[in-house]
Amino acid sequence: MRELAERALNVAQLAGAAYADARVIESREQFVEVKNQRPTALKESSGLGLGVRVLVDGAWGFAASAAADPAEAERCARLACRIAAASARFRRVPITLSALAPATGRYETPAARDPFTVPLADKIDLLIRTSAACRVDPAIAVAQAQVHCWEERKHFASTEGARIEQRIVHTGGGLCAYARDANDLQWRSYPNSFGGHFEAGGWELVERLDLPGHAAEAAHTAVALLSAPQCPAGEFDVILDGSQVSLQIHESCGHPAELDRVLGHEANFAGTSFLTPEHLGTLRYGSEAVNLVADATAPRGLGTFGFDDEGVPAQKVDLVRAGRFVGYLTSRETAPLIGLASNGTMRAESFGHIPLIRMTNINLEPGVWTLNDLIADTGEGILMATNRSWSIDDRRYNFQFGTEAGWEIKGGKRGRLLKNCTYTGITPEFWNRCDAVADDWEIWGTPNCGKGQPSQSMRTAQGAASARFRGITVGVGYGA
Amino acid sequence: MSGATTALGVGRPPIARDEAKGLLGEALAMSAADATLAVLESRDESLTRFANNEIHQNVTGLRHTLTVQAIVGRRSGIASTSRLDSSALRQVADRALALARLSPEDDALPEPAPPAETPEIAGFVPATAACTPEERADAVGPVLDQAAAHGMNAAGALSTSAATLAVASTGGVFAWHADTYARFTCTVRGADSSGWCDRHRRDWRALDVAALGATALEKAERSRAPAEVPPGRYTVVLEAAAAAELVAFLALLGLGAQSEQEGRSFLSGKIGERITGESVDLVDDAFDPRGFGRPFDYEGTPRRRVALIERGIARGVVHDRRTARKAGVASTGHATPPPAVEGPLPFDLVLATGDQGLDQIIAGVERGILVTRFWYNRVVDARRTIVTGMTRDGTFLIEGGRLAGGVRNLRFNESVLDVLARAEAIGRDAEPTYFDYLGNTVVVPALRVRDFHFTGVTRF
Repeated sequence: MRELAERALNVAQLAGAAYADARVIESREQFVEVKNQRPTALKESSGLGLGVRVLVDGAWGFAASAAADPAEAERCARLACRIAAASARFRRVPITLSALAPATGRYETPAARDPFTVPLADKIDLLIRTSAACRVDPAIAVAQAQVHCWEERKHFASTEGARIEQRIVHTGGGLCAYARDANDLQWRSYPNSFGGHFEAGGWELVERLDLPGHAAEAAHTAVALLSAPQCPAGEFDVILDGSQVSLQIHESCGHPAELDRVLGHEANFAGTSFLTPEHLGTLRYGSEAVNLVADATAPRGLGTFGFDDEGVPAQKVDLVRAGRFVGYLTSRETAPLIGLASNGTMRAESFGHIPLIRMTNINLEPGVWTLNDLIADTGEGILMATNRSWSIDDRRYNFQFGTEAGWEIKGGKRGRLLKNCTYTGITPEFWNRCDAVADDWEIWGTPNCGKGQPSQSMRTAQGAASARFRGITVGVGYGA
Repeated sequence: MSGATTALGVGRPPIARDEAKGLLGEALAMSAADATLAVLESRDESLTRFANNEIHQNVTGLRHTLTVQAIVGRRSGIASTSRLDSSALRQVADRALALARLSPEDDALPEPAPPAETPEIAGFVPATAACTPEERADAVGPVLDQAAAHGMNAAGALSTSAATLAVASTGGVFAWHADTYARFTCTVRGADSSGWCDRHRRDWRALDVAALGATALEKAERSRAPAEVPPGRYTVVLEAAAAAELVAFLALLGLGAQSEQEGRSFLSGKIGERITGESVDLVDDAFDPRGFGRPFDYEGTPRRRVALIERGIARGVVHDRRTARKAGVASTGHATPPPAVEGPLPFDLVLATGDQGLDQIIAGVERGILVTRFWYNRVVDARRTIVTGMTRDGTFLIEGGRLAGGVRNLRFNESVLDVLARAEAIGRDAEPTYFDYLGNTVVVPALRVRDFHFTGVTRF
């Protein structure tokens, strides 16, 4: 790996690159899915390739190849320089990178049990038992369970002298029970929707989740949702469970704090942001209860690493402190444009993609309430849990989320189950209505964050706890 | 090492037919399984991206995915690799076999596809495969200059790619297809407005980048100082791109046989029943020349044209070999890449066109809203096909049959089938939109829809 990167850097410099970096990445992935006690996916994937990024005449060029051999390294380096030269003809302001002391180092995700060493038969058995445990009622149409693990071995080298080796391991899984009757389809996941929960770490997460032990409850809830009353429409005090708060953070804080979005780099696809630079340090983003950090050093997060894909060391930075907007996610290219240095958030989906500013672990600091005390204190309202749908405008103001399940809060207690819960709002208004954060904090993984052209998928995390929001518009999407 | 040195500017498919046959034959020969299927997908993609009236990202990459499915009795295992050297072929064949042997028996596992004559689709345009970074820069340059001259800000991308798909099996299947794809998409932003264009073609020279850029610029100019209209029900004109966003959801929500068989589809139990308006004809047609269809699927089965909705009546779903076996019918050639966890899906949806031009459609609106595009659309209720999303980059008030100015963007909540049922006018010109995250194409015209439900408004 090292030799390929060195070859690419040498050729890039000879071809006129003022700066170049090369990433050689070897990856593997295993996905096992069982549906109704039948294995529906038993798949392993592996990859090896090289990506070369260069600056020529103040413009970027990038070329990648799945053939990791010296000739391809040279071809990619020359091609990247040619592409950069073409870009430079339509560059108004030359790109300059924030200063960085070149790092030499290694990082490896701590994992108690390497997920790739766990016998496949054990994984299949776990998922079959989980699926079987979901079959609690004839209304359960589909009971599916899955585990998914990834490993990346990354070698990064730059013409500035950085030489970094990293091994990143992500693991996770979950279950989902679908219930149907003649008129409706409802489902309930555990511990989270869209594949479950994922962390940086090993098989210990899957063991901790105890999927079979939670299957029956999820399935019973799915069946109960079929006959549950519809979520009412109106204004209510709402408590969101931690996993839903996690996605709320992801969409309404994480993305708008990406400085490349703010600067218009994603204007055609992912969009821009309402968190424009004149608001930095002044905007009342949320209430005093809202404290958000971007922490690439947090244990277990999918956004945890030693160095980002520009070789910047992992950092913990404030985004929102006591409700005030105070920080961005930045890169070496974007940070200098607002007078800052990179805080290390650049990641690429694979060797074949350029790094982009991506969420690391965007964590809402926990509060002191227990969830039960929060429900008791709320009196009347709605508790919503586990994301079912999510949508937000391209500046990240207007959002609408739906959850798999909800419960009335009556007399300070969790009451009837409600189905088809939705809520909507405008981001800063919503976070300013947050008056309490609970202590049930977890670092939730989001394995499928999309951004960029060509589109890249990234695994990010958001630390979150249950939280209360006052006077929220609920029940939109159904009825008149 | 094969297939890794596609030369930029040569205009060849990433993997030639004979080369694919050799590679897949080698992989199959290495497998000791009872039956083996090998799929090789290759893509040589370049993309010139711009923002703030300058090129800010510019990339190229050649990627392969070789997938081997080994079948032992009624057990199956799948392994894939991005490498094409002999040691990688050996590893992936061995691993697929090992996984198959570890797998429990699967009574629903279908027999591999038999060899079949594969129809031809002429999808490869050498000029697209040969497009250089200099040509892409020259094409977008005037759009950037034009936006700057108007005090506006252009962002977008011009992409060109060449791809091949090859499928082979120990049962004698071999199919290979090469195609190209090009897209120009551009957002032009002003201080309080924006406009957008988007076009997808096989031949990049047919994109007419300058004219499209001018359209985006004009929309940004015309939507300055947007008014705020309250949420409510409006007659809307959905340009083709906006209509495509909605129709694409039907593919995910139940036009594949797996979700229909599992009872999760909006079509479950409704085949033969009226589900939407009489004017709605929806087919999956890989052979429609406006789209980007491929002539066979990931199991090597020739693709068939499938009527999904005829005059508003649900007619059918698309199948792969697994769902076809369960239903007692033949596969329609819609298998997705192994392990196909979502089952078969329609890849090439085509909505029948009407007889009106866009100007006529707008002229028929006394008071309503024109939508250029929708954004961040997500399913609210799968069974009822309810989707929410936002308008974006060119939302206009229509008064007296004319565009009366821009309006702030709105959130909608709508059932896709109900929207189609309320279509009062259907455009005569359909545009293809390729959704890369779904891997499917939707060819639809503009629509005029009454009582479209906007439920919220945003701040811009």
